[in-house]
Amino acid sequence: MAEPELLVAPNVIEYPFSRTTGPMIGAFMTALREGFIVGCTAADGRVIVPPVEYDPDTAEALTEVVEVGDAGVVASWSWVREPLDGHPLDRPFAFALITLDGADVPMLHAVDTGGDVAAMATGMRVRARWADEREGSILDIACFEPEGAR
Amino acid sequence: MGAERVAVVGIGQTKHDTIFDGSIAGLVRTAAERALADARMTWADIDAVVIGKAPDFFEGVMMPELYLADALGAVGKPMFRVHTAGSVGGSTAIVAQDLIAAGIHKKVLTVAFEKQSESEAMWALSLPIPFQPPMHAGAGGYFAPHIRAYMHRSKAPDHVGILVAVKDRLNACKNPYAHLHEHDITFDSVKDSMMLWDPIRFSETCPSSDGACAMVLTDEAGGDAAAADGRPPAWVHGTAFRSEPTMFAGRDQVNPQGGQDCAADVYRQAGISDPRREIDVVEMYVPFSWFEPMWLENLGFCAEGEGWQLVEAGVTQMDGDLPVNCSGGVLSSNPIGASGMLRFAEAAMQVRGQAGEHQIDGARTALGHAYGGGSQFFAMWIVGAAKP
Repeated sequence: MAEPELLVAPNVIEYPFSRTTGPMIGAFMTALREGFIVGCTAADGRVIVPPVEYDPDTAEALTEVVEVGDAGVVASWSWVREPLDGHPLDRPFAFALITLDGADVPMLHAVDTGGDVAAMATGMRVRARWADEREGSILDIACFEPEGAR
Repeated sequence: MGAERVAVVGIGQTKHDTIFDGSIAGLVRTAAERALADARMTWADIDAVVIGKAPDFFEGVMMPELYLADALGAVGKPMFRVHTAGSVGGSTAIVAQDLIAAGIHKKVLTVAFEKQSESEAMWALSLPIPFQPPMHAGAGGYFAPHIRAYMHRSKAPDHVGILVAVKDRLNACKNPYAHLHEHDITFDSVKDSMMLWDPIRFSETCPSSDGACAMVLTDEAGGDAAAADGRPPAWVHGTAFRSEPTMFAGRDQVNPQGGQDCAADVYRQAGISDPRREIDVVEMYVPFSWFEPMWLENLGFCAEGEGWQLVEAGVTQMDGDLPVNCSGGVLSSNPIGASGMLRFAEAAMQVRGQAGEHQIDGARTALGHAYGGGSQFFAMWIVGAAKP
C-alpha cells in the first residue's frame, strides 16, 4: 500500500520583543558594556549579583549598586559534552555557578577549560574573559576561564 | 459570593502611558504600593497575592508572576495567577474576592498589568491558522465584522461610534491616570481619522498602553475598620464570571449568551431587578467605540437593538442618567491585562467617592464589567457604598 500523503502547512510565528530593564538590570548591563560587573546590597547586607530591584526577603526596594570583581570561585558546575547552537562556546564547556569576589550569591555563566573536563573542579578560581566588542549584554562576558590560564 | 462580606479598602494605578520607564516588576510594584498606601497597609499585612495579565506571549515572558513575587512582597505567601485573556483583570479581582468570601484569607492584594511597549499584541493576536487564509490583523480586525453585524441588525446610524469616542476621550481628560488626554477632540476629528478596520476609525480604537492596577480587598472587619477610620470602603454585592467557546454553530457574537447570563447572575446576587434604574454608574470594557451600545444591550440596560439610542440621547454621558466610562474607559487607556481590573477599580472608586473630577455625585451602586477573547469571557462585579 502506498504511504498516505500527509497535508503539511508551515506555521511560522515571529515578532520582535523589546525590554525596559529598569534601574538594577539596567545598571548591570551598562556596567558589562563598560567592562565591569555590579551587584546590589540586599536588606541583610548580602551582595547579590546580578542585582535585583526588590529584596527577596523583605520586599523593600533595593537601590545600592556595588561593584564586584570579575573573578571568583566555582560553587557548582555541569559539563556540556556536546554544545548546541546558541551555547556560548562551540567546544565542550561547563555551565557554572560562580561566586564573584565581593559577592555573596553565585551567578550562572560558562567556563572554558579548552574542552578538558578534568580541569573543572568545585572551588576552583575563574576569571571573566571579556568579549572584544561589548554592547550591554550578558554575552559581553564571553565566558570564564581558569585563573592564570593566559 | 460566599459567607464573608468583602470590602475594597485600597486602590492604586499607574499613569497609563505609551511607555512606563521601568521594568515589568517596577510597573506592578508602583500600582501595588499605591493600593497599599490607600489601604494604610504594608507588605506584611497582606495574606496572599492574586495577579493577572493577558497572554504571556504578548510580552514574551512566560509566567512572569514567578519573577514578580519579590516585587509584590509575595515571598513565603500564596500567590495565584489568573488567565482569561482581556477579561483577566476582572476575573483576577473575582478570584481575590473569592479567597476572602470563602474565609481563607482576610487581606488579599490583587494586581493586573500589561506592558504593551514591550509587547506585540497586534501581531500576537494575528496568529496564522494552518490551511486557512489570514483573514484579520489584530483585535480590531476580529471585532469589526461583529460591529457591522450590530449596525445591520439594529439599523444604528454610522455616527454612534463617533459619539462614544468623543465622550470617552473627553471623560479621560478628567482622569489624571488616563493614557490619552485629547482636549481638542471633536466629532469631526474622530470622523476624519483614518479608517482602520471598517467601520472602526483610528480615534474609535483603544491605545496601546503600559499600565497596572492594584486593589487591596479585606473581610468585613477590615472594611469596618476602614470605614471607622473615615475611609469608606466599596462593598462587593455580587461577582460573576461566564465563558463560552470562540466558535460554535448558532453562536451570537454580537450579543453573546455568556454576557447575558453573567449580567443576570450578578444582578441576582446584588438584588437588582432594573439595572438601568438601580445602577448609578457603569465602567464597561469598550475597546472599540461601538461596544458601548452593544454591551448596553448585552448587560440588559435596554432592549436588544436600542443601545445606540441611549448613546444618541446622551444617557451614557457623565450628566446622563446612566453614566458609562467616566474614567475614559479602555478607549483612553488600554494596558490589556489591567483594563478589566481598572473597570472594577473605577466602579469601586465611584462608590467610595474618590474618583476626583470624574466622580458621579452620590454614586451608591456601580457595575464593573470586563470581556475578553473573542467576546467569550465575561467578568462582572457590583460594588456599593452600603454593605450588602
